[in-house]
Amino acid sequence: MSATVQQASRRKRRSRLRTWLAGDRRAAISLSFLLLLGSLSLLAGVIAPYSPVAQSMDILAPPSAAHWLGTDDLGRDVFSRLLHGGPMTLYASFLAVSVGLAIGLPIGVLAGYLGGWVDTGVGRIIDTMLSFPSIVLAIAVTGALGIGLTNSMIAVGIVFSPGIARLIRVQTMIVKGDLFVDAARTFGSSTWRVIFRHILPNAIQPVIVQVTLLLATALLAEASLSFLGLGVQPPQPSWGQMLARAYTYMEIAPEQMYAPGLAILFTALAFNALGESLRALLDPTRSRND
Amino acid sequence: MSMRTLLLVGSRLVQVVPVLVLATLAIFGLLQLVPGDPAAVIAGETATAERIAQIRQMLGLDLPVWQQYLHWLSGAVRGDLSTSLITGVPVLEEVLRRLPNTLLIVFMALALSVAIGVPLGILAATNVDGRIDRLVTSTASLGVAVPNFWMGMILVGFFALGLGWFPTTGAASLTQEPLRALHHATLPACALALSGIAEITRQLRSALIDVLSSQYVRTLHAKGLPQSKILWRHGLKNVSLTLLTVVGLVFNRTLGATVAIEAVFAIPGTGSLVVASATNKDFPVVQGVVFVLVLIVIACNLLIDLLYAALDPRMSRR
Amino acid sequence: MTGPAPQPMIAAEEVGIHFPVGRGRVLKAVDGVSLAVMKGETFGVIGESGSGKTTLGRAMVCLEKPSAGRIRHAGTDPYALSSRELRRHRRQYQIVFQDPNAALNPRMSIIDSIREPMDVAAELPRAEREERARALMERVGLSPDFARRYPHELSGGQKQRVCIARVLTLRPSVIVCDEAVSALDVSIQADILNLLAELQQEFGLTYVFITHNLGVVAHVSDRIAVMYLGRIVELGRTEDVIERPVHPYTEALLSAEPVALPADLRPNKRIVLEGELPSPVSPPSGCRFRTRCRFVQPLCAEQEPPWRESGAGHWSACHFAGELHLMSNAELHPHRNVAERQP
Repeated sequence: MSATVQQASRRKRRSRLRTWLAGDRRAAISLSFLLLLGSLSLLAGVIAPYSPVAQSMDILAPPSAAHWLGTDDLGRDVFSRLLHGGPMTLYASFLAVSVGLAIGLPIGVLAGYLGGWVDTGVGRIIDTMLSFPSIVLAIAVTGALGIGLTNSMIAVGIVFSPGIARLIRVQTMIVKGDLFVDAARTFGSSTWRVIFRHILPNAIQPVIVQVTLLLATALLAEASLSFLGLGVQPPQPSWGQMLARAYTYMEIAPEQMYAPGLAILFTALAFNALGESLRALLDPTRSRND
Repeated sequence: MSMRTLLLVGSRLVQVVPVLVLATLAIFGLLQLVPGDPAAVIAGETATAERIAQIRQMLGLDLPVWQQYLHWLSGAVRGDLSTSLITGVPVLEEVLRRLPNTLLIVFMALALSVAIGVPLGILAATNVDGRIDRLVTSTASLGVAVPNFWMGMILVGFFALGLGWFPTTGAASLTQEPLRALHHATLPACALALSGIAEITRQLRSALIDVLSSQYVRTLHAKGLPQSKILWRHGLKNVSLTLLTVVGLVFNRTLGATVAIEAVFAIPGTGSLVVASATNKDFPVVQGVVFVLVLIVIACNLLIDLLYAALDPRMSRR
Repeated sequence: MTGPAPQPMIAAEEVGIHFPVGRGRVLKAVDGVSLAVMKGETFGVIGESGSGKTTLGRAMVCLEKPSAGRIRHAGTDPYALSSRELRRHRRQYQIVFQDPNAALNPRMSIIDSIREPMDVAAELPRAEREERARALMERVGLSPDFARRYPHELSGGQKQRVCIARVLTLRPSVIVCDEAVSALDVSIQADILNLLAELQQEFGLTYVFITHNLGVVAHVSDRIAVMYLGRIVELGRTEDVIERPVHPYTEALLSAEPVALPADLRPNKRIVLEGELPSPVSPPSGCRFRTRCRFVQPLCAEQEPPWRESGAGHWSACHFAGELHLMSNAELHPHRNVAERQP
């Protein structure tokens, strides 16, 4: 019996998803694009016509039947490099946001839940961290941790964390005052149970929106840092790093800079559109009728 | 200045102190993030034991952490940010020499963002859901998603390499050759301004829509006040505080984003300095650049805070 | 009396609950309250909004910590327990809130909400918890179809039934009902009150009934405490307080009670309270009710009235207790039969 109930609720959730996407064409397109990008990234090794690091004598060739997007300065196939850059980029974005969540979420929840001097102290630290120009701080942290994609994205995640902490802190403070939290306390629930069962599920929505928007920011940060040579290290391909190479040969082969740039632009656009759509969907000022 | 203003400035200055202290702690803490022995990492793999010992002593790494911090802090307060491990030049001197190049494009970009973003925001807000509004909002969401350094590359390709209107790279001193300096700064500032324009347009639009749809403004409409008068007298006055906040935010972001732009246009600014020194593990320089930039942001936030209080007397009592 | 007096289920001893309200000022929501709730009785607390009655109720179930004085649960000071012991102990003392909608986590299904207290206790096997939750759902009059639904799909009355079922899962000895019916439709109020009365018989519960509605409290309570600005001004058996009020504030409350009568039959002896409720941040000196009392004397501003017994178990805080001619409920509402309490 409970199986059918579960099925019903799953069906309901799916139909809600369908209504949302049917009502918001931009969100539907963005989600489809990201799903396509995700599957292409998973299958990059199978689909890509060449190895991303295989060099040839065909240097800076224009697009042709053999090389759809031409070749770069070492004769590597740009299309294959673009495909292999996808997983790098997605890995980088998700890593940065995960690090940001892993640091920001617990700090923000604890500050909001405990209040008092803990909250005051954390608030001060958050304010301070937010007055650092973010990319400069990320570069400085990358320099300290050591250059490379993973380290640079951990640095970006550290830079994200105060913003996430501030958001979840405010949400926690709001939910903490709800009666169902008091009720849970009278049942003898531990602080951890109150936080995980009652506060987080009711406070997390704005964070989900923020995370979607941050994925776009992380993507752009990865591109910038790899462009500056602090992120992905050659010969591994990433879109930002491809742009850095293309820039060097811009006078000879200007068309090389379009494909990676557009890939970054569209992906960032998709994450942003999805985030904005989620924000509108979860907006508490809009009546919920489901 | 009245007594009240003095008190206000004084209280804000006092509030800045803990932020400053925490900022210096964070900047000093950067060195603590270095895995393993920082001296060995900085010296590089081929360094001799003497060189490592020399670096350790130079950075004071043989002292307890809190002593290192106090040492660094007392130097910073006196304007001594140590010297570069590579060139031996005093860090503050190097940062101040490069800062004008960075600030020129940042402020030019900021001016462009306001000059273009504000009219666009008004235009969109007064045509909500119309064709112009939709065009402006979608362009703005594009502006947020475009990597600015890529925009810089496209601008170089088109206006510098193609049309030859602007120089491709480099910078000039604003005090010595002002016209050449502005000429050099135009393309980087344009590339940098893109996201600022988009941000100001979006925020101003939504703030204006809120004000214009409020009960109070609708009453003015009913009284027969013309649209343009309502917009100037009430709408913009009410959103000026929002605009101030957004400008502060955009300034902070632009100051960071200039790093990649400086790389594209080969501008010898603080951004290229921090990238080069992070790559070369020249930590005193990295710390120095971050410190100076944070001071600038904190000063800017303070200024915005005071302007806020001047514009909105209700705020000053808090 | 012979032998030791039985331990009250809840004993408040000079309880004060203070909140800082900025600029060094303190709001004393509850200020020096003493009372004892005995096993098996229904104890009514009545007062206007702002009287501190809800804060007192929250303190009784350890949701507010007394800033002064002590709350004892059957002799135990819950704040003397370790946090683990307190979590175990407080299951005996449950509360039903005014707003059932806010008291249920919107992201938990009804059955999950009802089962939660048992999940926290983790003393019964899982299947047994589910079974007990479903049995209690049925006992409070909820169809099993609601089990997998979410709070927003239920009406206010149904949600309050869920809250009642939820506290019953722990087999508590005391339930504080904080305005438990006042947010509901009048027709549903009676249903819920009857349900609570039945459950009291069935589970041997002790109730603390907090309300601003004298009709409700007179209907269900054995004893009543009247609160004004954080203090108890009168306390006694329900019949005594209603038929022979000693404090002018009680008299005013009795007269203010809306009566379901046509206008020409309504009492013309209405005593209107003048002025606003004073701010609890800076309460009046002496007797707190003096600013609105129709019998006010100079003494009232100078001295706090003593807490005195004027009849058996009938206490009040008025300088002139017993000397004033106060109107009883019967005089105020001659057309109504007050002795309609349920046994």
